Amino acid sequence: MNYTTKKVEDCFDGSRIFEYDFDSAIDSDFIRNLGTLGKLEYFKDFPRPFFRIITKRGSQFKGVEGEKTFKAIFTRSDLEKGKEDLENKLKSLI
Amino acid sequence: MKKIYFNNAATSYPKAPGVAEKVRESLSCIPFHPGRSGSKADDPMDRCRVLLAEMLGIDDKNRIILTVNSTYALNFALFGFPFRKNDTVITSAAEHNSVLRPLHHLMRSGDLHPEIIPVDSGGRIIPSEYFKKLELLKPRMVVLNHASNVTGAVADVKPLFKAAKDLGAVTLLDASQSMGSISFTAESLYADMVAFTGHKSLLGPPGTGGIYVSKNVELEPVIVGGTGIRSDLLYQPEDMPTRLEAGTPSLPAFSGLAEALEWKKKNREDYSGADVLIKKLEEGIQDIAGINSIKSESPRTPVISFTLKKWSVEEAAYILQESFGIICRSGLHCAPLIHKYLGTAPHGTVRFSLSPFSTEVEVAYALEALRKLTV
Repeated sequence: MNYTTKKVEDCFDGSRIFEYDFDSAIDSDFIRNLGTLGKLEYFKDFPRPFFRIITKRGSQFKGVEGEKTFKAIFTRSDLEKGKEDLENKLKSLI
Repeated sequence: MKKIYFNNAATSYPKAPGVAEKVRESLSCIPFHPGRSGSKADDPMDRCRVLLAEMLGIDDKNRIILTVNSTYALNFALFGFPFRKNDTVITSAAEHNSVLRPLHHLMRSGDLHPEIIPVDSGGRIIPSEYFKKLELLKPRMVVLNHASNVTGAVADVKPLFKAAKDLGAVTLLDASQSMGSISFTAESLYADMVAFTGHKSLLGPPGTGGIYVSKNVELEPVIVGGTGIRSDLLYQPEDMPTRLEAGTPSLPAFSGLAEALEWKKKNREDYSGADVLIKKLEEGIQDIAGINSIKSESPRTPVISFTLKKWSVEEAAYILQESFGIICRSGLHCAPLIHKYLGTAPHGTVRFSLSPFSTEVEVAYALEALRKLTV
């Protein structure tokens, strides 16, 4: 499982929003492992289960099980460290 | 997963029957060049002009300038208008950035002062504030949104524009959200200029739009270049619409728009179903605890905006789209000033916008999705 990352835009500045795009679908094991980076909320009763992870420093990772991408929204103060922690975690998972 | 498309205020989908085929057909045959080669009978631009003039109740089709979209049309109107130093333009807080940004760029260059009139909690301009400023400032131009892309509220522009014209102002209507879903003529609303787009309620392709410019307004061309006529001149020809249309247009897209306009002519009541559905959707949303919807009285376009207590608007729209397959829009909707008055600043709203092709089943599914989101 490999990934690429890109900045994504929203209505506002958008400079701290990134999309992580994998070459295969995200499954529940991946989500639970990623969830160790913070508090995991997992909405399994939605037609396609949604997850949201909020780290101690307020950054958020969210996406949908079965999709190939998830979004990372870093807080201003957590942009470098949060991105590094996330990408280290991804290295350990893939 | 089945997809439901509730983002018609951005771009309508599906298009009117036959539009896609016309675009494909146009791309598959020898190109026609308006003013350059081919016969008038083949000219999709001319067909669009005729049908748009008819829709707007205009005698002279050549006062319809075809552009890429409303943004271009509004830029043509605002940057092409012969403002004098320190002129005032009155506009409203309901405007889209396609009006606000040109006005602010003109303000920065010192050419004019925009005066922004507040709106009420449903997104409609407050008439008393407007009339007060109109008398006080005697603006050179009034630019108003016909229908809000955030709340769907249709402004009662007729008395506003009439009063402006009585004081000598030029009136510009941004009909991006209304043209095709609300019936009106330029004259009935006292509009000197009407900017519109083809890719929303007119049910045509993206890359089509235009502006009606009445005979009492002379715009300078913002873009000049090849026209296929009077190529001996080193300046843009004076004839309308050529004066304001330079370069090769997207004929496949305008072929599609002409088809959409023909369909709309035959299906004049096409938005009546969407009007019924938006009321059902609004009533359903109002019954769900944990959602605040922006109440918009009739007349309106089939648009509703709301916020959720449990989710940010960005997150709610993401979940609706990715988990439930409901394509909608979140944020400021390119109308940054209205949210202060709706109580939805700084993050904006989730917006559902319907089309004539939306169904009761889709509305019921969307309400069910919202109920699940608020549990």
